[in-house]
Amino acid sequence: MMKPARRIFGLLTGLAVPLLCVGAWELASRQSAAHAWAFVPVNEVWRSFWALLNNGDLALNFLASLRSMLTGLILGSLLGIAVGALMGVSRIANILIGPLYHMVRQVPLMGWMPLMGLWFGTGTFSKNLMVVVAVFYPMVLHTYEGIRNAEKHHLEVAQVFCFTRWQTFVQVSLLDALPSIFTGFLNALAFAWVATVGSELLFGTGAGLGSLMLIAQSASEMEVVIVCIVAIGVTGCLMNYGIGRIRKWLLGWRYM
Amino acid sequence: MAARLALYVNEEETVEAAGGTLSIRGLCKSYALEDRQVSVLKDIQLDIKPGHFVCIVGPSGCGKSTLLRLIVGLDSDYAGEILLDGARITAPSLDRGIVFQDHRLFPWMRLDENIALALLNHDYPKAEKERRVAEYIRLVNLTGFEKARPHQLSGGMAQRAAIARALVNEPRILLLDEPLGALDALTRVYLQKELQRIWMERRVTMIMVTHDVEEAVYLGDEIIVMDAHPGRIKRSIKIPLPHPRDRASSPLQDIREEILNELTATSPEPDHLEEAVRI
Amino acid sequence: MSTQSIAFSAWQYQGRLWRKARLWFSPLVLLLIWFQVCRTGFFPEQILVSPGVVLETFRELWVSGELQEHLGKSLYRLALGFVLGVVLGITFGVGMGLSKTVERLFSPFFNAIRQVPSIAFIPMFILIFGVEETFKIVIVLKAAFFPVALAAYDAVKGIPQRFVEVAKVYRLPTRHLVSKLVLPSTVPPILTGMRLSLTRAWIVLVAAELLAADSGLGQMMEMGRQMFRIDVVMVGVILTGVVGFVLDRGCQWIERHLVRWNT
Repeated sequence: MMKPARRIFGLLTGLAVPLLCVGAWELASRQSAAHAWAFVPVNEVWRSFWALLNNGDLALNFLASLRSMLTGLILGSLLGIAVGALMGVSRIANILIGPLYHMVRQVPLMGWMPLMGLWFGTGTFSKNLMVVVAVFYPMVLHTYEGIRNAEKHHLEVAQVFCFTRWQTFVQVSLLDALPSIFTGFLNALAFAWVATVGSELLFGTGAGLGSLMLIAQSASEMEVVIVCIVAIGVTGCLMNYGIGRIRKWLLGWRYM
Repeated sequence: MAARLALYVNEEETVEAAGGTLSIRGLCKSYALEDRQVSVLKDIQLDIKPGHFVCIVGPSGCGKSTLLRLIVGLDSDYAGEILLDGARITAPSLDRGIVFQDHRLFPWMRLDENIALALLNHDYPKAEKERRVAEYIRLVNLTGFEKARPHQLSGGMAQRAAIARALVNEPRILLLDEPLGALDALTRVYLQKELQRIWMERRVTMIMVTHDVEEAVYLGDEIIVMDAHPGRIKRSIKIPLPHPRDRASSPLQDIREEILNELTATSPEPDHLEEAVRI
Repeated sequence: MSTQSIAFSAWQYQGRLWRKARLWFSPLVLLLIWFQVCRTGFFPEQILVSPGVVLETFRELWVSGELQEHLGKSLYRLALGFVLGVVLGITFGVGMGLSKTVERLFSPFFNAIRQVPSIAFIPMFILIFGVEETFKIVIVLKAAFFPVALAAYDAVKGIPQRFVEVAKVYRLPTRHLVSKLVLPSTVPPILTGMRLSLTRAWIVLVAAELLAADSGLGQMMEMGRQMFRIDVVMVGVILTGVVGFVLDRGCQWIERHLVRWNT
C-alpha cells in the first residue's frame, strides 16, 4: 500500500503536465485575436460543453455514433467469426478465401471510402459498412488463428469419443478459440470506434460526433471540436475497460 | 489364498462373454522424418485376454505410447494387424477408451458435463445418461464435486474424473497412457489402489503404459517389457498373483527386481529424435 | 526405403508448388468474374468499369506524370512526418522508461491522448495549422509518435535487470553492456513499434488527404469520387493497398535482417 501523502503527490505530478498544457493554451488564447481564433479560451470550451449538453446536441450525436458503431460491431463480428471459423475448419474455404482476405486487407480502411461513396452513396449504409469492414478484419484473423491453434489434446479427446466434425467444432474448437476471439473483439472495438468517427468525418452526413466535429471545423468553432475529441477519447477508454471486465468474467476458467 | 485365487479365476471366466480380446499380429509402424524413415515399432505380437490387466514398461522411445495410440485408433497408418474381438481397428470407437497422462478435461465444462460429453454419441435417453454419469462419478469417488470446474480439482481428482469419463461409455478395453505419471508419490499410490479397485469391480480389459515398474507389478496380470530402436517386445512376464495385492509381498518384489535388472542391463540412452517424433 | 524417400521428396516438392499456385487461384477467379460482369454491361460505367479500363487509366495517369506527382507528394508527407514522429517517439519513450520523474509527469497525459483515435484530431489540427502541408505532416507525426513511443518505453522497461546486475558484478564496460545487452533487447521491439507506426501513419495520411488536400493519393481518389471517375478511384484504392503492403513488408524485411545481424 502506498501512503496517502505519496498517492496525492503522485496524482499531482500526473496532473502537472496536463495543467501546464491547459495553462499554455489559455496563455496563447490571450495573445491576440488571431490566436484566440484557434486557441479558444478554456472557459469558452467549458461553456460550450454545457451548452451542447443542455440543448441535447451532444447526446444526440453521441448516441448516433454509438448506434452506428454497435450496428457495425455486431454485424462485423458475426460475419467475421463465421468466415474465420469456416477458414479454420475447412481447407478448401481457406484456400479460396485466405488470399483474397489478405489482398483486400492491404488497402487502408479510409482508402475504401471514395469507392464506397460511389457505390453506396454517403448515407448510413456506407457508414455502417465501413464499421463492419473495420470489425471484420480482426475478427476473421483471430477466429481463424484461435481455431487453428485449438489445443491438439482436446481435439484428440473429441476424436476418441467419435465426435462428428460439427460436434468437434461446436464442443471443442470454438470454445478453445474463445480467448483468441475475445482478443480479436478487443481490437475490433478500437477499430470500430475509429471507423465510426472516421466515416462520419469523411462522409460528413447525418448525425454523429464526427459530423458534429466537421461542422464545427468549417464554422471554426474550436471549442466544439475539443468537446468532441474529449467525448471520443472518454468513450474509447470506457469501452475498453468494460470489455476487459466482461472478458475476465466470461473466461474465468482461463485464469487459474 | 486358495479361495481367493479360485474367485479370481472364476471372475475371469464370467467376463469372457463381454468381449475385449485384443490380438496384435506383426505390427510395424514407422514415421517419415524429412526424407528418412524412422522405425518406431517393429513386429509386435501381442494377445490380451478379456478382463486382463496388462502393463507395458520400457525405456523412453520404445514406442509404448505410439502402441496405445494405434490401439485406440488415433493413428491408423500402420502395417500388420490390430484386432479387437476379431475386427480390425482403423479408427477410434466408443468400445475403446483412453486415459492420457494429462487429464484433458475441457476447462470450460463442469465435471459432470465433461463426463456426460463422452456419451454424446450414444442414443440413451437423457435420464439414462444422467444415471450413468452419476454412477461413474460415484465409482471414482468424486460424488459431491459434480459441479466443480477442472481448474478447481487437484491433479489426482482430475485424473479420476478422466478415468470416469473413459469408463462411462463402458468400453470393452481401456487404455491408460501413463495416467499417474504426473502425480505426486502419495496420490499415485492412492490412485493405484483405486485403479485396482475399479478394475476388480468392472473387469474391463486394461492396458497401461507406465514408467514405474513397481506400479506395473502391483497392478498387472502380465507385464510386457519393451526395448527401443526400434520399439519391440523383449519379454512378457505373467504374474499369477490374486488381487488385491500386497505391495510389499516378496514374490512381487522379486519380479520387480528382475524387470528392473532387465531394463537397466543396457544403458538407457534416450533417443531424443524419436521422442520428439512420438508426440 | 530409398525409392520411398525419393517419392516422398517429389511429393513434397509438388506440395510446395501447389501451395504457391493456390495463393493465386481465388484472386484470378475474382478477376475473371470482374471481367465477365463488365462484359454483360449490367452495371453503368459510374459504378463498375472493367479491369482493362482501370489499367488504361493507370497508364494514362502515369504517362501524364500525374500519378507520380500524387504518389510522390503522399510519400514525402509520410516520410517527413514518420521520421519526426519516430525520433520524438523514441526520445520520449526512452526518457519515460529511464526516469521515474518523467514517467510520473507524463504517463497519465500520454495514456489519455493515446486513447483518442488520430483521425479525431484532424479537425483540430486543421483549425490550428490550416489545410496546408503543416497539418498533414503534424497528423502523420501524431499517428507515428504513439506506437513507437509506447514500444520504446516497454523496451527500456523490459531490459532484463538480472543481467544488468550480472554485468555490474563482472564490471563489464559500458560499451559492452550497450552492445551485448541494451541494444539486442530494445531494438527488436522498437522496430516492431515502428512498423505499426508506419501502417497507422499511412492510414491517417490517406484519411487526411481525402478530407483536405490539393494533392496526394487521397486527394486523387476524392476528386475521382466527386467527378464520378470510378476508374481513377480504383487506381487509387489499389495503389494505396500496394503502398501499404510494400511498406509493411519492407519493414518486416528490415526487422528480420537487423535482428539477425544483431544476434
